[in-house]
Amino acid sequence: MDKRGAGAPAGAIERAPTTVGENPEERTFKALLEAFPSTLTDFKKLRKGIVRARIERRDLLECCRYLKDKLGFEHISMISAVEYENRFEIVYHITCYGSCLLLELITQTPKDDPTVESVSSVWAGANWQERESYDLMGIKFNNHPNLERILLPKDFMYHPLRKDFKG
Amino acid sequence: MWINMGPQHPMTHGLWNLRIKVDGETIVDAEPEVGYLHRGIEKLCERRTYTQIIPITDRLCYGSSLTWSHLYCLTVEDLMNIEVPPRAEYIRVAAIEMQRIASHLMWLAAYAADLGMLVGFIYAMRDREIFIDLLQALSGSRLTYNYPRIGGVAHDAPPNFVRDSLRACDYMEGKIAEYEKLYDGSKVFMMRNEGVGVLSKEDAMNLGVTGPPLRASGVKYDLRKDQPYSIYPELDFEAVTHPDGDCYARYRVRMEEMRESCKIIRQAVQKMPQGKWRVLAPRIGPEGTGLGRVEDPRGEGMMYIVGNGTQRPYRVKIRSPIFVTVSAAKHMLLGYKVADVVAIMGGLDMCIGETDR
Repeated sequence: MDKRGAGAPAGAIERAPTTVGENPEERTFKALLEAFPSTLTDFKKLRKGIVRARIERRDLLECCRYLKDKLGFEHISMISAVEYENRFEIVYHITCYGSCLLLELITQTPKDDPTVESVSSVWAGANWQERESYDLMGIKFNNHPNLERILLPKDFMYHPLRKDFKG
Repeated sequence: MWINMGPQHPMTHGLWNLRIKVDGETIVDAEPEVGYLHRGIEKLCERRTYTQIIPITDRLCYGSSLTWSHLYCLTVEDLMNIEVPPRAEYIRVAAIEMQRIASHLMWLAAYAADLGMLVGFIYAMRDREIFIDLLQALSGSRLTYNYPRIGGVAHDAPPNFVRDSLRACDYMEGKIAEYEKLYDGSKVFMMRNEGVGVLSKEDAMNLGVTGPPLRASGVKYDLRKDQPYSIYPELDFEAVTHPDGDCYARYRVRMEEMRESCKIIRQAVQKMPQGKWRVLAPRIGPEGTGLGRVEDPRGEGMMYIVGNGTQRPYRVKIRSPIFVTVSAAKHMLLGYKVADVVAIMGGLDMCIGETDR
């Protein structure tokens, strides 16, 4: 996971004690950490213009709203669901058109309860992407306007991207 | 009354269905339906090795297959932390810009035919052949190239590639001016385009629209400029925008983009250094994630690959630009007439292969 830091001196990227507002990565980090001190973790710069953070499930919607209204992250690029052995991870790639920053926001759900709040009230572009994650991976998005299958037929019984589905 | 346009309809360019609710001639509700061409590519990728996936990603979009295999290789290189030799980067950029022109020309041809101007179809398809021929000289095949490799490209550029590319660019720039005379001079074309399918800047950003439709709504955001990958920072070109947000603006943006692509190809082939065009990549990917992001001819293409230390990827997620853009179709269609549907949906440059995956 730490491959990107390989060329730089150890720890130079993550810590960097600079003044507030020096670069967009730092600014976003400071603002997010102030707003969600207990649920936001693992903030890390992957490479120039791309940062990653983890958020706990209960604060996801609040965090997305904050990102859009206060920090100017106006575009939801991609929503991906990944199944691991003991958890599901839902990865949101969110773009800020102003500072050209891409935030990779990861949230987790337990294996037996794959539900998460829908962010389609924040970004309308998330609507179909959430439907796709529901269709193929079986993640349930609470308060989604129309959570139906989108790529597969309505009477299909499985979620094919899960590892226990043998096609 | 609900009307089904599709799955078999001259407007759809592939298999998808647009359900529209009409009040007289006016559209009051619309609902696109996709999924007719779903092949489960993300699942297929989990059962194949990293190298075997390259030809599959070619099949994502029949109009611009090279950009997708390039995106895949970019993502795996990010995952494996591979440095690509400079000559390969220049060849790749020249090739994907040729692919962009070919894709835009195919859109122009289909769009002209949609709007009842068959002469535009014939001209644009004729000139698309020039770029297809160049790509064939480069890779050996006409539409699904299987040309980029993890760590470079499959083989070096052929001997006369630079000369032929420069000639093709000169020819194309003359032809674009000719097309503009032909299209802008056509009264029917203008009447069916101007003020039709307006998408405001705020809507376009909120609905996740990317690529030419976003820039036609006045947002200056082009990944080649704003989050540069490959060698784009070294090249001189402009991100094209248009303030109006209607079908005519989308047409203008694509035409200007073809001009910019000619500029890029010219610089890329002239600056192309000598040297290796490929490094050997490991067969086994590390644990971790890779993210790739390119400006596809249709918008923002993204891939997210999770590796688990074996020779197969654990998860491949593909973001298709048109999948998100078509979900915004309702906002463009409401309030217009049934006859405008063809212009509005044609102006988005639909490609069902990548939408359904």
